[in-house]
Amino acid sequence: MANLPKTEAGHELAIHVRGVSKTFGQGEAAIHALKDVDFDARKGEMLMIVGPSGCGKTTLLSVIAGTLTFEKGEIDVFDAALQGMKQRAITEFRKRNVGFIFQQFNLIPTINLLENVSVPLLINGWTRRRAEEKAAATLAVVGLAGREKDLPTMMSGGQQQRVAIARALVHDPRLVICDEPTSALDKDTGGHIMELLREVARHPDRCVVVVTHDSRVFKYSDRMAEMEDGRVERIHESFDQYANKQGL
Amino acid sequence: MLLGDRSKYLMLVGGLTFAALLMTQQCGVFIGLLSWTTSHMRNMRASIWVVDPKVEQINEIKAMRDTDVNRVRSVSAVAYAVPLYAGILQARVADGSFKPVQIIGLDATTLVGRPPRILAGRLEDLRLPNTVMIDELAVTRLSLDPKRPLRIGDSFEINDREARVIGICRTDRHFFGYPYVYTTYEQALQFAPPTRKMLSMVLAEPAAGFTAEQAARQIEGETHLKAYTEAEFSASTLRWFFRNTGIPASFGTTILLGFIVGVAIAGQTFYSFVLENLRHLGALKAMGASNALLGRMLLLQAFTVGLIGYGLGVGLTVLFGMVVMRTGQPPFLLPYQLPLATLVVILLICSLAALLGIRKIYKLEPAVVFRG
Ligand SMILES: Nc1ncnc2c1ncn2[C@@H]1O[C@H](COP(=O)(O)OP(=O)(O)O)[C@@H](O)[C@H]1O
Ligand SMILES: [Mg+2]
Repeated sequence: MANLPKTEAGHELAIHVRGVSKTFGQGEAAIHALKDVDFDARKGEMLMIVGPSGCGKTTLLSVIAGTLTFEKGEIDVFDAALQGMKQRAITEFRKRNVGFIFQQFNLIPTINLLENVSVPLLINGWTRRRAEEKAAATLAVVGLAGREKDLPTMMSGGQQQRVAIARALVHDPRLVICDEPTSALDKDTGGHIMELLREVARHPDRCVVVVTHDSRVFKYSDRMAEMEDGRVERIHESFDQYANKQGL
Repeated sequence: MLLGDRSKYLMLVGGLTFAALLMTQQCGVFIGLLSWTTSHMRNMRASIWVVDPKVEQINEIKAMRDTDVNRVRSVSAVAYAVPLYAGILQARVADGSFKPVQIIGLDATTLVGRPPRILAGRLEDLRLPNTVMIDELAVTRLSLDPKRPLRIGDSFEINDREARVIGICRTDRHFFGYPYVYTTYEQALQFAPPTRKMLSMVLAEPAAGFTAEQAARQIEGETHLKAYTEAEFSASTLRWFFRNTGIPASFGTTILLGFIVGVAIAGQTFYSFVLENLRHLGALKAMGASNALLGRMLLLQAFTVGLIGYGLGVGLTVLFGMVVMRTGQPPFLLPYQLPLATLVVILLICSLAALLGIRKIYKLEPAVVFRG
């Protein structure tokens, strides 16, 4: 168990990243997507990773979530140290600890909402009955009670993203990962989704990391990590601080 | 879980049904046809068949000398040996038309080579002059009016000689499709146009203390005739058909075609199904589904469509078989091993199809889910 240090202000850390590098390809064609990245995320917060397209946001999110390996540095996520972890152990780590929310929702179109939301529990070895009970309760939390038997294709984008949030939360993961969760939604719907995600983050043993370049939703963040060219350049302690720096 | 794509699902089930049907049905017809080539052996039963040395299969008759019967009898490992006449002669029906029939002339004393099932009459009555026992096929072929079929006491002509029916028997249908007409050896010689050699074969039984093989080898050693046991003659006959006819090759081609169509349709459909769902499979992988879990899921789905296709295909084959049995026309046999073999082949096809997809899944990086 990696005991994460507290910050000076006494916040407990959820994610601790030091000196992480990731390169795609080799030689001339090599792309250094992450260059010695350092950054932390705290328990109970929603951290936003922002920056221009191609700066490495998705890559950083992927290494934190354990879906991508990295060649250098250390990453601690709650009590797991990801560097040097075996493939099987990483899969196990994702299964128990990570909830995923994607830009394109990625719901399975041919099965109903209840079944979609049950998937992480089934992967975790729950029985179908127990999984569906829990899934129904989680659907109710995101405001979709009574829609259990509907197919994802019958729903609006905002509703589908709610289902995706339910699916990301159903197995009570400590880390929730969102890549561009609002890019496919209009402003109001995106706002509602971000409000919901912020509520999700208000949990003493959870951290929500959102990657986005959708400036309309920056204001929902607790803190913001600003990336540029493969590095986390600045951490803003609040949206207001970020807005001031930008001269907004 | 992922098989909600109706058109692909139907395509898969359809392709597998077609493959199962084609393979089982064609194998069934082929086995049926092969069984027809050895019908003689079931319609005249004997432990040892002694024939001219050049004869390789039972449907080929090369006449031997009458004295050969005694030469076989003199072999010490032989309990008894009897002459048999087998030949195709023309029967003249009451309306004057001619129909070919398979004449079997049995030794009058022992009646060895008798038909397998007698439905009416007594075989012993063949010892009366000008008598025959005919099979059911002969009844239909030789009757003028289907409402008034040939029965015991009726007669027809074989080579201008009267043949009076004293019994009806049931035989296995022969490859050539001629009805069987049993009579005595002497009577058969009366029916047949006289030639120098009339003996078709000698049927023999081993003496006590000898196996059929031992007796057969001893006959061959002492008489320089060819002696086959039942199993040897069947095998030799089948070998002959495999070597000298295009039948096995053409059936083999069709059966292979069924297999290839199955592999092609199932493999192709399943693989494109995996490709189309790669995004979802990647998401499942990101959520912590192991390769083994996804592989099992894919196999399960492949086997599900496989079993449905198999069930439909074999069901249709059985249906075909039942219709055929009723009309009795084309050959068809469905030994229980055949559906089992088809099941194995279909599951093999499904495994192959799923394996392609599973390979793809193994190589799939979970990080792809974040890529547009
Ligand atoms: N699988 C990959 N292979 C090669 N290059 C990649 C791969 N993934 C990302 N990159 C490159 O890494 C850089 C960072 O990409 P990414 O993390 O997706 O940026 P962002 O999410 O901020 O838009 C980009 O230059 C991108 O082209
Ligand atoms: Mg990105």
